Amino acid sequence: MEPLLDYAWVVVVLPLLSAVLITAFGKQLPGKGSELGIASLAISWLLALGIAWETFVNSPIEPVERAIDWSPLGGGFIFELGILVDGLTAVMLLLVTTVSFMVHIYSREYMRGEVRFTYFFAMLSLFTFSMLLLVVSNNLLQAVIGWELVGLCSYLLIGFYWEGKSNQDAGNKAFMTTKFGDVGLIVGVIVLSAGMFSMTDTPFNILQINEAAAAGQLSTTTVVLGMLMIFLGCVSKSGQMPLHVWLPDAMAGPTPVSALIHAATMVTAGVFLLARLFPVVAQSQAVMATIAIFGVITLFFGGLLALVQDDLKKILAYSTISQLGYMVAAIGVGGYTASVFHLFTHGFFKALLFLGAGSLIHAVHSNNISDMGGLARAMPHTFWTFIVGSLALAGFPLTAGFFSKDEILIAGDLWAGAGFVTGSLVYWVGLAAAFVTTFYMARACFLIFAGENRSHHAPHESGKLILAPLMVLAVLSVASGYLLSPFSPEQPNFETWTATPILDEEASYPFAQESGEADAEHSAVGVVGDGVLASGTVMAAEKEGPVKVLHGVPTWHPDLLAMVLVLFSLAVFLAYRFYGKGLPERDPTLSMGRFTDVLVAKYGFDDFGYRYIVVPVRDRLSAAASYSSNVLIDGVVAGVGRATKNAATTTYRVVDQQVIDGSINGAAFSAAWWSEKLKRIQSGDVQRYAGVLVAGTIVLVLAFAAAR
Amino acid sequence: MSPVGPLLLATFLFCAGVYGVIARRNAVLVLLSVELMLNAVNINLVTFQNLLFPDDPAVTGQMFALFIIGVAAAEVGVGLAIVFNMFRNRASVDVDDADLMRW
Repeated sequence: MEPLLDYAWVVVVLPLLSAVLITAFGKQLPGKGSELGIASLAISWLLALGIAWETFVNSPIEPVERAIDWSPLGGGFIFELGILVDGLTAVMLLLVTTVSFMVHIYSREYMRGEVRFTYFFAMLSLFTFSMLLLVVSNNLLQAVIGWELVGLCSYLLIGFYWEGKSNQDAGNKAFMTTKFGDVGLIVGVIVLSAGMFSMTDTPFNILQINEAAAAGQLSTTTVVLGMLMIFLGCVSKSGQMPLHVWLPDAMAGPTPVSALIHAATMVTAGVFLLARLFPVVAQSQAVMATIAIFGVITLFFGGLLALVQDDLKKILAYSTISQLGYMVAAIGVGGYTASVFHLFTHGFFKALLFLGAGSLIHAVHSNNISDMGGLARAMPHTFWTFIVGSLALAGFPLTAGFFSKDEILIAGDLWAGAGFVTGSLVYWVGLAAAFVTTFYMARACFLIFAGENRSHHAPHESGKLILAPLMVLAVLSVASGYLLSPFSPEQPNFETWTATPILDEEASYPFAQESGEADAEHSAVGVVGDGVLASGTVMAAEKEGPVKVLHGVPTWHPDLLAMVLVLFSLAVFLAYRFYGKGLPERDPTLSMGRFTDVLVAKYGFDDFGYRYIVVPVRDRLSAAASYSSNVLIDGVVAGVGRATKNAATTTYRVVDQQVIDGSINGAAFSAAWWSEKLKRIQSGDVQRYAGVLVAGTIVLVLAFAAAR
Repeated sequence: MSPVGPLLLATFLFCAGVYGVIARRNAVLVLLSVELMLNAVNINLVTFQNLLFPDDPAVTGQMFALFIIGVAAAEVGVGLAIVFNMFRNRASVDVDDADLMRW
């Protein structure tokens, strides 16, 4: 099994190669470069599939780490450039390459005729490469490089239609908001690795950091400060409140890019990093509580915003924010497997929904669901794939979203059982948000597919290259859930696949030691035997000693199943009442008084940000910076320049022209003057020479005689 | 025998030669004056040989004098050839006319 895992770097490098080749030769090729992108992603995808299979059937596996030392700076530590392949990496490789492969195929049809078609494909490949680089990296510095590249590519692609000012603004907003979090990430990486310097030559190595953290070798300050700073990066990148503001605006980019950003390459980066560093996260209750609270707030309030949106892509964007909230909250309540599982399934159905939305938008030439309606008959394939995606997003039983989302709720319940209030929050708020999710997706589906056609176009089904990815993703949106479901209790399953050996062996959740008051019902035996719906990593508090992580068997959990079904039916029923007959005169979600106002204003985050961050920065800070640059620094520079010029001019006039040239000219003139005088001696009269010779001889003789 | 007479004669001849070289205009006479100086030297050589090394069987002074006579004959040959050429080109043997080497 090892040889295949060793070649994980090929998966990463191929998209980069494709990006470079497309940039260099894309325009000359018959497919304008798209075939290069699709081919390289196909190979990457096959390889990722092989790696996923190897890690899955042999799970849980020991991580395979291959790295080269690369120390441009020296200085007593080694900067590695390498890969770390374990179950988590394999999951992410599979997710990223699958979604990216589908998006590449889809874009070939969807972006046909675009002016910057080749550029678009180059950027898609580069985007994929950046995310893969982050996913396979075995050290935090390399991860930061991938992270920043992801940010750059998202900026370039969100602002793809850069002719429009609002699109430029959206790109800038995404870049600057995530950049704010990146500062936190970098600080966090430095703090974490600073604690590692005394222990190892490779302080950025993720495995070593995780091991040191699990062994309790990192100080509490390091863990709390480092992880909170890294979490700040995740908040901005993974669209957690209050730094989610860039995500809805990112819809300015082309729809395939939205699919890529929301499913595979951008927003998942933050959750992935938290999962990757989960052994460190698990060291501090403060960190886990913070993460859980941010997640809970985001999953509920982010979802509410989707209720009042008319733009289909924005509805999906807010649903992404909400689902990311679930993932982050799951990390905060110890639901490592649940979080990664939801990340995995969400990637498929969110990509499906966005690509389906693109197909719909193509048909009616509008983003707004109020302009659609009655599309079920005109676009049957888009219809059923979109419905599958919506069901998965809403967590309808037996779809992938059901298994993964309920896994998160169960994780919350278990955490609550261990005596943490955040667990209950995740459980109940998560359940409420599931109702909201179902309602707004049902609203969107009824408005899009039921009733009369309100668009001014005759909608028609999209081409094969658009439908094929939709169908593949629709199958995956259902099938991927069965990796961890009560239907497949035997191992290996998703839980052993992504299991972290470090957490298995070492004492985890050290802060949970004194939670002995946890009720016996949720003790280790109790949890596993209690009929959990799909218990992944079961965390059990014993009376004494540290909390242990157990591998549980997914089982049914009837009370949760019942609640989910009731909430689902209620939400769909309400949505049918309101929207089943087409667009109502007054949209109920827009007729809720102050509540609607708050939602339409997006809780005022954008206004607040504009008024208290954008305006002061633009009008005061930028003006001051501009003044200091244009007047102060430029003044100094110009002054230095002027002084230099004056000095040079003076030097030229005095030293060069007068002293040096004068002395040289003077020498020449004096030579000319003297030669004019002296040449008279050379008379050519030989007898005069002889006379002078004789006279000189006589003088010399007399002189010698006198001297004697 | 007293060397005073021959030395006075040599001095006179040399001074006459110098005067001739400096003052005469005719190139042939300049050559003649050069011969006078050479012969003054010859007289000096013979005189001092007899005065200083009268018993030297090698008679170096006389030998030198003979060599100088030979060399002088060759020199006159070359000099007269130059004078002939000069006359042929300029129709004159006045040394004042030969001033090509001036500035």
